[in-house]
Amino acid sequence: MTSLQQAYSTAKVGWDKLQASDVPIFFVGAATCGRAAGATEVLHALRDRIERDKLDVQVVEVGCMGPCSFEPLVIVHKSGAPRVCYANVGPDKVVAILDRYVLGDDPCAEWALGTMPSGKLDGIEALSAHPMMRPQVRNILRNCGLIDPQNVYHYLAREGYRGFLKTLEIGPEKTLEEVKASGLRGRGGAGFPTWRKWQFCRSVPGPTKYLICNADEGDPGAFMNRSLIEGDPHAVLEGMLIAAFVLGASQGYIYCRAEYPLALQRLDVAIAQMRELGLLGDDIQGSGFSFDLSVKKGAGAFVCGEETALIASIEGRRGMPQPRPPFPAISGLFGKPTVIQNVETLGNLPLILRNGAKWYTQYGSETSKGTKTFALAGKITRTGLVEVPLGIKLKDIIYEIGGGVLGGKALKAVQTGGPSGGCIPAKKMDLPVDYEALTQAGSIMGSGGMIVLDEDTCMVDVARYFLSFTQAESCGKCGPCRVGTRAMLSILERIAAGEGQMTDLEKLQSIAQTVKDGSLCGLGQTAPNPVLTTLRYFRNEYEEHIKKHQCPAFVCSRMTSFDIDPHRCSGCGACARVCPVVAISGQKKRPHVIDQGICIRCGMCLSVCPPRYAAVYRRSGELTRYEQRKDEKRKSK
Amino acid sequence: MKLTIDGKSVTAKEGLTVLQCAIDNDISIPHLCTHSQLPPFGACRLCIVEIDGVRGYPTSCTTPAAEAMVVRTDTEALQNLRRNILGLMMLEHPSACLVCGRRDLCEQFRPEAEKVGRTTGCHTCNNKEVCEVRSLSEELGFVELPVAPMYHGRPVERSEPFMDRDLNLCILCGRCVRICKHHQGRAVIDFVGRGSQTRIGQAFGNSLLDAGCQFCGACVDVCPTGSLADRYAKWYGRPEAVTQSTCIFCEQACALALGTKKGKLTTAEAVNENVPVCVLGRFAIPEFLNGTDRLSAPHLRVGQRLRQTPWEQALETGAGRLKQFVGDGFALVCDTTSTLEDRHVFRKFTAEVMKSKNYIEIEPDARGISRTSLPAGVKAALLTGNFVDVAALKELELLIVQDCYPTPVSERADLVLPAAVFAEVSGTMLDRSGQGRPLHKACEPPGQAKPEWWIICRLAQAIGTEGFEYESADAIAREMGIANVQLWIERQEAPPAATNFKLRRTYFRGHRIDQKVRGLQQLPVDEPCALEVTQEEHKGAFEILEKREIAPNVHEVIIAAPEVAKKALAGQFVIVMVDEKSERVPYTLCGWDAQKGTITLVVLEKGQSSRKLVLLNAGDKLAHVVGPLGVPLEVKQYGTVVLAAGCYGIGGIVPIAEAMKAAGNRVVVVTEARSHYLHYYKAKLQGLCDEFVETTIDGSVGVKGHAIDAVVQKLRAGEKMDCVIAIGCPFMMMVTAQETKPFGVKTLAALNPIMLDGTGMCGACRVTVGDQTKFACVDGPFFDAHLIDWDELRDRRAAYSAEEIHSLGRTESVVTGQGKGSPCTCSH
Repeated sequence: MTSLQQAYSTAKVGWDKLQASDVPIFFVGAATCGRAAGATEVLHALRDRIERDKLDVQVVEVGCMGPCSFEPLVIVHKSGAPRVCYANVGPDKVVAILDRYVLGDDPCAEWALGTMPSGKLDGIEALSAHPMMRPQVRNILRNCGLIDPQNVYHYLAREGYRGFLKTLEIGPEKTLEEVKASGLRGRGGAGFPTWRKWQFCRSVPGPTKYLICNADEGDPGAFMNRSLIEGDPHAVLEGMLIAAFVLGASQGYIYCRAEYPLALQRLDVAIAQMRELGLLGDDIQGSGFSFDLSVKKGAGAFVCGEETALIASIEGRRGMPQPRPPFPAISGLFGKPTVIQNVETLGNLPLILRNGAKWYTQYGSETSKGTKTFALAGKITRTGLVEVPLGIKLKDIIYEIGGGVLGGKALKAVQTGGPSGGCIPAKKMDLPVDYEALTQAGSIMGSGGMIVLDEDTCMVDVARYFLSFTQAESCGKCGPCRVGTRAMLSILERIAAGEGQMTDLEKLQSIAQTVKDGSLCGLGQTAPNPVLTTLRYFRNEYEEHIKKHQCPAFVCSRMTSFDIDPHRCSGCGACARVCPVVAISGQKKRPHVIDQGICIRCGMCLSVCPPRYAAVYRRSGELTRYEQRKDEKRKSK
Repeated sequence: MKLTIDGKSVTAKEGLTVLQCAIDNDISIPHLCTHSQLPPFGACRLCIVEIDGVRGYPTSCTTPAAEAMVVRTDTEALQNLRRNILGLMMLEHPSACLVCGRRDLCEQFRPEAEKVGRTTGCHTCNNKEVCEVRSLSEELGFVELPVAPMYHGRPVERSEPFMDRDLNLCILCGRCVRICKHHQGRAVIDFVGRGSQTRIGQAFGNSLLDAGCQFCGACVDVCPTGSLADRYAKWYGRPEAVTQSTCIFCEQACALALGTKKGKLTTAEAVNENVPVCVLGRFAIPEFLNGTDRLSAPHLRVGQRLRQTPWEQALETGAGRLKQFVGDGFALVCDTTSTLEDRHVFRKFTAEVMKSKNYIEIEPDARGISRTSLPAGVKAALLTGNFVDVAALKELELLIVQDCYPTPVSERADLVLPAAVFAEVSGTMLDRSGQGRPLHKACEPPGQAKPEWWIICRLAQAIGTEGFEYESADAIAREMGIANVQLWIERQEAPPAATNFKLRRTYFRGHRIDQKVRGLQQLPVDEPCALEVTQEEHKGAFEILEKREIAPNVHEVIIAAPEVAKKALAGQFVIVMVDEKSERVPYTLCGWDAQKGTITLVVLEKGQSSRKLVLLNAGDKLAHVVGPLGVPLEVKQYGTVVLAAGCYGIGGIVPIAEAMKAAGNRVVVVTEARSHYLHYYKAKLQGLCDEFVETTIDGSVGVKGHAIDAVVQKLRAGEKMDCVIAIGCPFMMMVTAQETKPFGVKTLAALNPIMLDGTGMCGACRVTVGDQTKFACVDGPFFDAHLIDWDELRDRRAAYSAEEIHSLGRTESVVTGQGKGSPCTCSH
């Protein structure tokens, strides 16, 4: 076993060497998001080339840096120059960069996103000045994309485990004070003050206590926790040590969803490294504190992100929640006092302990201190994992960081909090992003999912989508959730099919209230939120569906039909060729016609009709929607 | 500690929940998923309360009471929320009868539930009288469903031993899962699936048997709905009387609550809900005692045969012959399943009356087998059960058998005397630690059967001995000095067979229990079971060509019957015998094809014979189909003809609609059903009529109410109707007739009394129309609905209800979809 002190020395030496390396280094973002964008092929091409020509070039796989729409991301270190971060790098491009910049002198500025951490190179500005990065404060994510997540020395070199050592030094009570002073609130969604949860648990007598890290991350579209674990697993584990020490917990569990195989791998490697360094087991670092960690894989149930269901799952039982009281902090896993924390909450702890509560509170709003990560997705120009101080205005996230709505379309709403959350309408973009403001607006912070919706989104469809999710994931124990969500879904499906009645809206509201008030757990209690917020802010859309049998966004297929404008159609036949049900007929160079009786409203014809004709248009009720016609003489970008 | 509930200050012990507190102080909070023996679950959400300082609506069953807590149990918000929660629950449970406007009238007219295969409403539910959901809906004032209900359409499970399960009625309260874990220590049944697909089931789709069910029946006893039912007792309804007594199948002596209806034992349940009883104690007793081949009258041998004889003569003759064998040439053999009182008399008789030392009392072994051989030199024997080999009998000159069931031994006896046993007698027995436990008589023995002590006493008296003038078992107990025997209610442990049915007794009094209680043959023990598989041979000429369930409990059957198809006319019916031994049942002809030679029937499973029919499949053959019977409907141009139909009637009006339309009438079809998922033939009927209206009791589709409500709506709007024809159950037709009467509209109803021959000879289908007696088979089936004596029709249709319930209870578990008998599932 290496002593921790020795490890720190080795780490510093190694890290300094890495920063000042003479050998060129390619840092390739190879977390799940990077891989999905093609990072594996990039690594392959790069390594093949290096092998082939026996080049002295290093390749390091790093985690997610944040700007996912620019992935695969590759950062190139060349001695004597600031590092350059390149965007949308495919296997050909990475080899080109190798040739042109590493072996040559051309930094390929046209592909560069920015320099890191600062400095100008051939017109390439610092990445931190990029509009996407500038408003961000990447504290929790400080290591993601910069270190090799499988190399614990990288973590150590960047002050890793110093927070835990501080905790050992000042003791559990002072640590608790520090966390209290920081104002840290649970990042899983409820926003419960972390210190208070710990205090309940500490006050229960008994030698056995448990700490659980909730890495189930079930919200569709949320990937904050995944990115942190894949990019910087030790940050979470150090957080667990800190929390466990304060609680007096002897055993910790990480409940990680099985759909995150890379994260699970990272955890296994990291935990083994902790043992190596004497950070797990009996009498850690001679402190008298004994703690061990175990990873439990989830089995595909959203409801197991709920505390009591999660506990049941670890105990080997069916994941059905239990009413509280008793609260897990008093009686939880195996009947013992248990604290469950979200991955990100734990990720905050090393920072707070290392830098102090005062440092932490410089960020954030009055009631919501610190920074929060958000998974920005949907109809946004720049998707990605962003970290911002709480209290930042929603519009800054959407327009500055996110670069506005994709394709320049009109913003309709921003959905936060996943299936438990709500939609903030475009007119409320001045809203500060903190716990209270979001709740007042009818949504919730949630775990950090943030989905941008534009003019082409149907809000009735959004509600229907989220409700079909919660209905499928309901554990089935209590009637209000199990049946109520199904009843609401059946009404929404009827409305989306053009069979709604105005009385349906009152029924929806009434059933939603019963589900909210009557359900046993948070899943049911928040399942009606998407319906309630869309009714609150977008009632007009519901009414249009019902009264006018039209979907203003042209989404609901039962109420939308596709047609061809004979004045625009050139008879090129592109649509007829792709129609899967052969509903389009027409002679060459003569206007084509869609047979409404056969058409299945898939939209293929719309997507292939050349923009210079834009002859395929949509109809819904009284509305028609033509696509913008592009003048064929204009040069395409 | 002190807390406040509804403004009232109450004191509570530590560790109680708010609900327990409330109950202790006579404050009622509605609750469903709670059970006194189980830890709280919090699933039904009905026991919600408001507590100061606590967010939302916590469940009182899970919230521990705390000092100074302020609780409100009955605010308007709570009442509304509870009603809405119940409303949501009712979307998955056939609930039309709960919201029916004619509920009280229906209760009055026909209080007994129909004995259907699939329950689609309270009226067709075996749990009606004791249903907790029904009583809750009354308590909370439930009147309307928020959206159209869903019927899951899951298969009804009737192939497991003793228990029928209809998971379409399940409201997922979880009591069955929890009590099973509590009693059996493992999850034999559990929640399976997610979302609206959540249901109770076994892991990997195993049968109950394969999942390790021990058939203790606790799940059935805790089920608040009709979802889990005791197959035997199901249709008897709530017992009229419950007597606590002791089980005598073995010396575990479990205390049982025995329920009877009209003097007949229908159910046996554990008295102590905390501890299960075994499959014998829970399920075997009524079937065992009610066997149709019970010895019920004394029989005397006359030459080769045993002749039924009055008691007096039997006793005289017996006494006379016994006198010749006084001394050691006589032996009396009994076992310890006879009560202490019985055995006291047996002993006394052997010693004092017969002056013999050969009183043989057998202690049954672990399987309950009581076997012995007779001592050498015995020439006369009195056996109180099946205890000796037939071979031993050839030495005997006199054999008297006193028993509950006939056996090969009793077939050879000179005198056979019918004994009352078990729940039919009072007395005392000993449990496994030698403690006395009482038997309390709960039901009447069959026929002329008598308690065993009574028989021996009368024999003694007939012989002329004194000292046997006991008036009751109590009198004998007093003589014996037996006092203060208590039922063993407070037992801590379950009897071994309750958690492992392989350990159960298989014999009682020398009789194999599983020969009398056939469900036990599916529960293997270590010895091969002597299986009697009854294969019903369906010999017949009438092949079922197609069969499908077109709505829950409604089956469309297409049969090859060319002669019938050739002659059929609208309004006629056929009589069907499924096999050579079944009832003759009339079914309305819902269609026919003279060319193909087929007829179509729409059959509701409503009792033993319709059940037999619907359990057949395409390819099976019916024994007899007779028809077309009845007077065809008079088809002429009336003008506007309104056809009102419910249940099987929806199928029944198809040929009538066709015929009336062809005759130039304006045809209006009004169909009724409890809920939207029970309607069928909509497209077919729409194509045959000028106007189609559907009604549902719960308003889930069409007009809310019965068919007559739509008809009355039209009449009130001034629509002209020349004739209304109603086909459905008597209640539906009665109500239709009653409400068309004020409008003076001619109304015909298709009557469906019990029928036998169908050709006017037997009188079974007699009905009273006005002041005349008519026969539905040859004068009907259609009659002037305003003149019918509906009460008489109802009473005559129920004439054999008791026999049918009894017969249904004895039908062994059915394997749906196979229809050719139930093979034993044990490994032998």
